[in-house]
Amino acid sequence: MSLVKIKTRINGKAIESEVEPRKLLVHFLREDLGLTGTHVGCDTSNCGACTVLINGRAVKSCTMLAVQADGNEITTIEGISRNGELHPLQKAFLEKHGLQCGYCTPGMLLTSLWLLKKNRNPSEEEIRKNLSGNLCRCTGYQSIVESIKYGAQLMKEKEEEQEMPVR
Amino acid sequence: MSSVRWEDMDTAYDATSLVRGKGHFVDDIRLSNMLHMSVMRSPYARGRILGLKGGMSSADFKGKLASVGEGASPSSALSIEPVFATGFVNYVGQPVAAVFADDRYRSTDLLDSIEVDYEPLKPVVTIDDALNSGPIHSGMNSNVLVEATQGKDFPDPNTPIVLEDILENDRVSTNPIEPRGIVTDYHNGVLNVWISTQSVNSIKTGLVESLGMNPDDVRVMQTDTGGAFGSKGGLYPEYVIAAYASMKYGKPVKWIESRREHLASTNPGRGVRGRVKIFAALNGKIAGMKGEVLVDAGAYGTGSGGFSAQYIGFMMTGPYSIENAFVTGRALLTNKVPQGPYRGAGRPEASYFIERMLDLLADELKMDPADVRLLNMSDKPFESPLGMRIDAARPFFETAVNELEYRREAKLTKGVGLSFFVLVPALYTGESARIIVKGGRVSVWLGGNSHGQGHEVFVKKLVNEELGVPEDIVTLYRGDTKMTMVGEGSWGSRSAMVGGAAVVAACRKLKGDVLREFGNYTADNLLSGSYDEFVNDETRRSINSFGANLATVEIGKMGNVKVKKCIAYYDVGRALNRDMVIGQIQGGMAQGIGQTLHEVLSYNEDGQLITSSISDAGVPLAEDLPNFGVKIAENRSILPHGAKGVGESPTIGVPTALIRAIEKARGKRLRKTPVMPEDLME
Ligand code: FES
Ligand code: FES
Repeated sequence: MSLVKIKTRINGKAIESEVEPRKLLVHFLREDLGLTGTHVGCDTSNCGACTVLINGRAVKSCTMLAVQADGNEITTIEGISRNGELHPLQKAFLEKHGLQCGYCTPGMLLTSLWLLKKNRNPSEEEIRKNLSGNLCRCTGYQSIVESIKYGAQLMKEKEEEQEMPVR
Repeated sequence: MSSVRWEDMDTAYDATSLVRGKGHFVDDIRLSNMLHMSVMRSPYARGRILGLKGGMSSADFKGKLASVGEGASPSSALSIEPVFATGFVNYVGQPVAAVFADDRYRSTDLLDSIEVDYEPLKPVVTIDDALNSGPIHSGMNSNVLVEATQGKDFPDPNTPIVLEDILENDRVSTNPIEPRGIVTDYHNGVLNVWISTQSVNSIKTGLVESLGMNPDDVRVMQTDTGGAFGSKGGLYPEYVIAAYASMKYGKPVKWIESRREHLASTNPGRGVRGRVKIFAALNGKIAGMKGEVLVDAGAYGTGSGGFSAQYIGFMMTGPYSIENAFVTGRALLTNKVPQGPYRGAGRPEASYFIERMLDLLADELKMDPADVRLLNMSDKPFESPLGMRIDAARPFFETAVNELEYRREAKLTKGVGLSFFVLVPALYTGESARIIVKGGRVSVWLGGNSHGQGHEVFVKKLVNEELGVPEDIVTLYRGDTKMTMVGEGSWGSRSAMVGGAAVVAACRKLKGDVLREFGNYTADNLLSGSYDEFVNDETRRSINSFGANLATVEIGKMGNVKVKKCIAYYDVGRALNRDMVIGQIQGGMAQGIGQTLHEVLSYNEDGQLITSSISDAGVPLAEDLPNFGVKIAENRSILPHGAKGVGESPTIGVPTALIRAIEKARGKRLRKTPVMPEDLME
C-alpha cells in the first residue's frame, strides 16, 4: 500500500511521517509514534479511551484516519504535563482517586480538559453530561466527577498564582 | 520510532504513571519481529465444519483448553473446549483458525484468506432448549453438565403460607474497558508471557497443561491490567494459540481482543434461573426453603457454569436462619460462549433468589420487608442447612436499618427497596507473597494480581505496620510467576484478606530472620541486610461480612428508571484504606445498577449475538448514575490485620434493593434482571 506524507504538531513537536491511508489516528499515535498513553477500548467509538485534543478540542482518535490529522495540532496524554510536573488535573485525579485500573484515565483527562476550557466552573450535572462519551467500568464515576471539580479549582489557583504581580 | 521494550519495563504498580499515560498495558508492548495475531471465529452458534483452508487451525494444533482460575471445575471430557474448534463449532465467536502478520491491519486482511465451509445445525440457545433437546456434544446423554444438591431434602412443612416463584438474571458481559490481550515470546526454551490478568499463576498452570509443557519453561508476567471483574482470571483459547504460535514461528506474538470479540468470546457472568419455594408461618417466620437452580453454562465445561450450579445453592438461604433447606443445581450446556465468573460469581445470584422471596413474603403478609427480614435472622451465629456458617446477623441488620434511614425513607417514598446479604469471600486456598529486602528497599510480589484495586496501597501500609519501615521504600510489583512460584488470584473479594495475610506472614518471617541474626529487631537492621522470604499462606478459615443496601427510584412514563438514592452500609472489617474501600464500593454499585437496569448480552433464536457494542451491552454512563452514599462499619475479622472482603458486596446488595424499589414504584412483581423499560410502561 502506498504511503502518504503527513505533517502534524504533536505535543508541541513538529512531526513529519508517512502513513498508510487506512491507518487510524489512534494506531498512528500508538504504534508509529510510541505514544501508548492513548488507549483503545472499543470498535464503535463509544468508550472514549482514545480521546486526544486536536487543535484544543477533544476528539476520539479512533474515529479519524491519521491522514486527516495532516496540518493539525494534537495533544495526547503524554503532552499535558509541563517539564515533568503533573498538570493540576492529573494531580486532582491522583488525590481524589479518579482512577482505579487507569485504562480510561487518559481519555477522561483530555475530555475534561476540553470541558474546563469551555467552562471553568462546571456543575456536577455538566460534568456528568460531558462524560457521556467516556466509559469507566471501575469507579462508578463519582470519584472522577470529584477529581474534575477539584482539578478545576487547582487550575484556577494556579492561574491566579501566575497572574500575581511580582513584587 | 519508539517502543516499549519489556526489558526496561517498570513493573511496579504506580498510579502516577497511569495518569501520565505511561502505564504498561499489554497492547503497549512491542518486541522486535513481533507478529500480530487475528482470529477467525465461528459465525454460527452450532455447525459442522465441512472444510477449512488456510490459517492455523485444529489441523496444526489439537490441544484442549485447561480449566483454571476462579470457579474452575473438572467436567466430563466430552465437554472440554478444544483450543481450535474441531469438527464442530458450538458458539458464535468460537476460535476456528488464526493468522499472523507483522501488523494488525495485515493480520486482519489475512482473515480473508481463510475459507471455511459450515453445515449449520439447529442450536440449543436457551435454558429451556437445553432441557428439552438432545445433547450438543455427541457422547453425552443430555445437556446437563453438572448436577449437584445442597442440603437434605425434607417433607413439605405444614405452613399456611407457601410461596413459589421463578427468578432470573440474564447474562452480563464483564466489559473491562481494556479488553483481553497477551504477548508471548518463546526464547531459548522458555515461553515468556505478558498478559492482562487477575492471576499469573492460573494462566501459567493453564498454559502448562494445555501445551503439555514443563512448568519450569513457562514464565507469566502481568502487565498493567485495565479492569477484569472476573473475566481475566482463567485461560482462553487465544492464549494457548498465541503461545503455540510463538513456539512454532520462533517469534513473539501479540493478540489483542477487540470489543466485538470481547462481547462474543469472553466468558460473561450470570445467566441463571431459579425456582424458589418458601414455607412460612403467618407471622412471617420461614420454616423451609426449596430451590432449583439452572445455570446457562454455555457450550463447554471450561467456564464456571458447573461451579456456579453448586455454589449458588450453597448460599441460597442468605443471612437468614432458615432451619430446612434443599437446593438442586444444574449447569446446562447451550450453544453460547461459556459462562464465567463476573463480580460476585454466584453470590449475587443466590442473594437475588432469597431476597426476591423475602420481599414476596412481606407483600403476601402485608408486613414491612425489614420486619420480615428481622424475624428470620438470629442474634447468634448460625450454620445453615446448606453448610454456610454465618455470624450473628440481627445486630448488624438493626444498625443497618438505622444507618440507611430506611424507616424514614419508607414513609416518604413509594419506590424504596432494602436488601440484606452476607458476603462469603473466597479465602480458600490462601495466597502467596514474596518479599525481598535489598539495598535499603523492600520489594513485594503477590500471587493474586491487582487490576485496579490498588493492592500497592494496602501492601505498603501493612509492611509499614509490621516492619516499621517507611511506606515510600516499599514497592509492590506486578505479578510474575518467577517471583511467586505458586499463588491463587485476585477474585472473590479476597485480596486484602488473603493477600494481606500473606504479606503479614512474610513480614513476620523477615522479622524472625533479623532477630536471629542481630538478637533484636529494628527496621535499620532489616534494611542493612539482604533477605528474601516467600510464604504461601494457606487458610481454611471462614470469614463473612454483612451488608445492606437501600435504593429509591422514580419511573418515567416510558418506563425509564431514575435511581434517586443508592446507599450502602457494609461491614468491611478493618478498612486498610478508607478511600480505596469507598472507591471499590462505588464502582461495584455502578455495576449493580447496570445489571438491574440495562446490562445484558442478547441472543436471538439462532444463537446469534445481537448485542453489538459496549453501549448496547448497557455499561452505565456517568449521567445514568446517582451520587452514591457509602457508609462502612469496621468490625475487625479474625485475620491478623483485621480485613474482610468488600469487592463484591455492591454487586450482591444493589440489584436486590434496586429491583425492589422499582417493583414498589410500579406496583408490579418483577422477576428478572435487567428490568426493561417495556416491563414498566404505564
Ligand atoms: S477506542 Fe475510541 S471510542 Fe473506544
Ligand atoms: S479506572 Fe478502570 S476503566 Fe476507569
